[in-house]
Amino acid sequence: MTVIKGLARAEQIYQDREKRAKELKAEGKKIAGYLCCYPPLEIMTSLGYMPIRIMGEMDEPLTEADTYLPTVMCAFYRSVLDVAMKGRYDYLDAFIGAHACDGAERVSYVWRSYLKSPCSFYLDIPHTNHAAAIEFFKKQLFYLKEELEKTAGKKATAAMIKEAVTLHNKQRSLVRQLYELNKQDPPLVSGSEMLQVMIAIMCIPPEEGNVLLEEVIEEVKGRAEGPKKKKGRILIWGSLIDNIAFTKLIEDCGLNIVIDDTAIGTRSFWIDVDETEDPFDGLAIRYLDKIVCPRTFRDTKNTRMEDLDNRFSYLKKMIKDWNVNGVYMNIIRNCDIHGYEISEVRDYFEEMGLPVLVIEQDYSTTALEPLRTRFQAFAESIN
Amino acid sequence: MGDKKKKKSSAKTLQTAREAGNFGKKILASARTAAEEGKPIAWSMVDWWLGGTIAKAMGVELCYPENYGAFCASVRRAEPYLDYAESDGIPNTTCGYARNCIGYTRRLQENNFVIPQDAPGGGMPKPLFLLACGAVCDARYKWFQSLGRYMNVPVWTLEFPQTGVAEYYLAGNKEENIKFMVQELREFVSFLEKLLGKKMDWDNLSERLDTIFKTHQLAHEVDILRKSVPSPAVNTDFWALMIPHLYLPDDPEALEFYKRVYEEVKYKVDNKIGAIPNEKYRMAFSELPPWHTLGLFDEFAEKHGIAFVIESWNYHAPSPLPESEREGITDPLELIARYSYHKFNESAPTAKKYCMDPTIFTAPYLKWVEEYKVDGLFCHPLMSCRPATYTLMHLRNLLMEKFKVPSVVVEGDIVDLRVFNEEEAHAKIDAFIETMDYYREIRRKEGFGW
Repeated sequence: MTVIKGLARAEQIYQDREKRAKELKAEGKKIAGYLCCYPPLEIMTSLGYMPIRIMGEMDEPLTEADTYLPTVMCAFYRSVLDVAMKGRYDYLDAFIGAHACDGAERVSYVWRSYLKSPCSFYLDIPHTNHAAAIEFFKKQLFYLKEELEKTAGKKATAAMIKEAVTLHNKQRSLVRQLYELNKQDPPLVSGSEMLQVMIAIMCIPPEEGNVLLEEVIEEVKGRAEGPKKKKGRILIWGSLIDNIAFTKLIEDCGLNIVIDDTAIGTRSFWIDVDETEDPFDGLAIRYLDKIVCPRTFRDTKNTRMEDLDNRFSYLKKMIKDWNVNGVYMNIIRNCDIHGYEISEVRDYFEEMGLPVLVIEQDYSTTALEPLRTRFQAFAESIN
Repeated sequence: MGDKKKKKSSAKTLQTAREAGNFGKKILASARTAAEEGKPIAWSMVDWWLGGTIAKAMGVELCYPENYGAFCASVRRAEPYLDYAESDGIPNTTCGYARNCIGYTRRLQENNFVIPQDAPGGGMPKPLFLLACGAVCDARYKWFQSLGRYMNVPVWTLEFPQTGVAEYYLAGNKEENIKFMVQELREFVSFLEKLLGKKMDWDNLSERLDTIFKTHQLAHEVDILRKSVPSPAVNTDFWALMIPHLYLPDDPEALEFYKRVYEEVKYKVDNKIGAIPNEKYRMAFSELPPWHTLGLFDEFAEKHGIAFVIESWNYHAPSPLPESEREGITDPLELIARYSYHKFNESAPTAKKYCMDPTIFTAPYLKWVEEYKVDGLFCHPLMSCRPATYTLMHLRNLLMEKFKVPSVVVEGDIVDLRVFNEEEAHAKIDAFIETMDYYREIRRKEGFGW
């Protein structure tokens, strides 16, 4: 029997995202579904839950969402609730909602009102990275742990959480190694392959995810046929993408996606959890302060330039290190946290002399094709 | 088209409501006077009395861009600002208040921060800082942050925890939330002291708090009086009366004014005088109104006898803070934190009773439909304000499931007249009358009390 490994395995998991969770559930393991990249995976892992990232489905027509959510809200979170109401996540032992943004917050509330999991927790996340906010967030993480313990049937000790920190930090390190391979021209991993891998490791236990990442790294390092050299080496900034139909469309237009700043991508993996004496200190700081997403307000600096650098200088580094020559700013329609940021981030990139394409899209594969000409024109504009 | 663009304000049914707009004018005029005198000014989000009260106690005059957006819409002069914000890359799906403010600020900057002559209501002067708030929606801090493109002023974001219903009942969590809010308010005081170069006036703050509690006690009693049949006041009255209690409850003038509001409403209740002459249907409205077309509700009253008896949870004063929470509290910051948190979580028992989330925007209506004998809910999904819209479908499901109260959905916007179809609103209400009749009968058969 052929063992499917590496990129092929990632593709297989990507195609059937809940399969592994359901297999493990059948074996008696508990599964915890979570929204966005803010609920700490280490707490779930330490208690024996397999964490699975809750996503929407760009291919799925919305047939249930309208009963519960208005049409004017974030298209991604409408899709999340739509597939949930159709039963996709009925197997979850724990649902962890999050105040990551308005969409995640309100969908958490509505979800809990209709879908009852054995364990359900709404994680409030402060809006700032102030010291008091980190302390408060730490307390909320402690409540999350206690609630998960009730259905896990065991307690998470500091040692168990530290062990989980080490495990997930290893995963983050492997993800960074994989992205490193895209500093080459042409990159060793296409944007679509990268997305499949990122989604795959969010849908399997971290130990298996780490094995998968090691296989992928080994495979792509030695492959003869990787992505072709293209005129555009782009960074994708903004709302998440969780379907390769989108990345393939972009790549078909003469653009290589070499790096991203999105929630199913670098934002979820870029920064480690510090191995602090009290693991909750490291978790609170990493998840609230060190994840850089526009949803967290950072105090204004003395000058405009200082303020922009405080918020966006990591992007400058990505641009330089990955030799990026164009930026696609991806906004899922009605995403406020990215919507208000467009003008500032666009200016920041343009100050660096980079061409920028901004598109508000509807999180639907049926609405993608009209975007093709815009990406083609964008590719043409890149020198 | 010409008719559609005509100003369409409501006549209002209370004399005091007709006078309440003066408080809005007072806010803007006081800020401009302060600016001329070189005193500090800030633009502030509605923060449910959390930080604005502190800033005022430090001598800062506040303007409220959300209220300014509503004002520009009500006089139908928001569109140029909306267009101007959109032309600078702000998506037309973002908050109407925000786009109005961004467009206004862009104009202000281009005019070297001299208020343009044609600014509606005399305009808002350039602020020393921006006071954002984390409660209710992301726009209310992201929008102020985005103004950095036009003016280099600091933004302070007030933390306002959003607690889930089950989490509200976790042992010690409520106190953790209050503690966090107090710590953050203390940080805000430090920020102000540094910015203004002077110390906090704690006595002034305590006096203001005392006035807030008195003004809000009256506002809350007016809400209770509105349970009467026929209703002594309607939504269009409330949306005018809210200006003093939402923005200026610490102003002794607002307190005196609210005594008159209470007397006027009480008189109508005692004498069974309805706000509208022939009340046939009692409706609730959720959540934010079409400020540009409030006259629509006068037409519904006249045509169908519809009294909008309760509305807009987020604009109402809460019930008084229970004595158990006030007792022994000497730190005004803690009192403020407890009060604001109380506003957002006082419906947690209702939410728990019905096994639902959230307490904000949704659970209060589950109490109100019974207490106000509501026949139907008017849902107003806003094209540009998602947070006030997200839970509307959820709310209409709950009202039907738990109380057999139907709802009608009329899409529109708080500011953007371009996305509101008045004729469609009339057509939907015309058809909804029959629905309300039908469910009245159902409720009667099922033993509901109204």
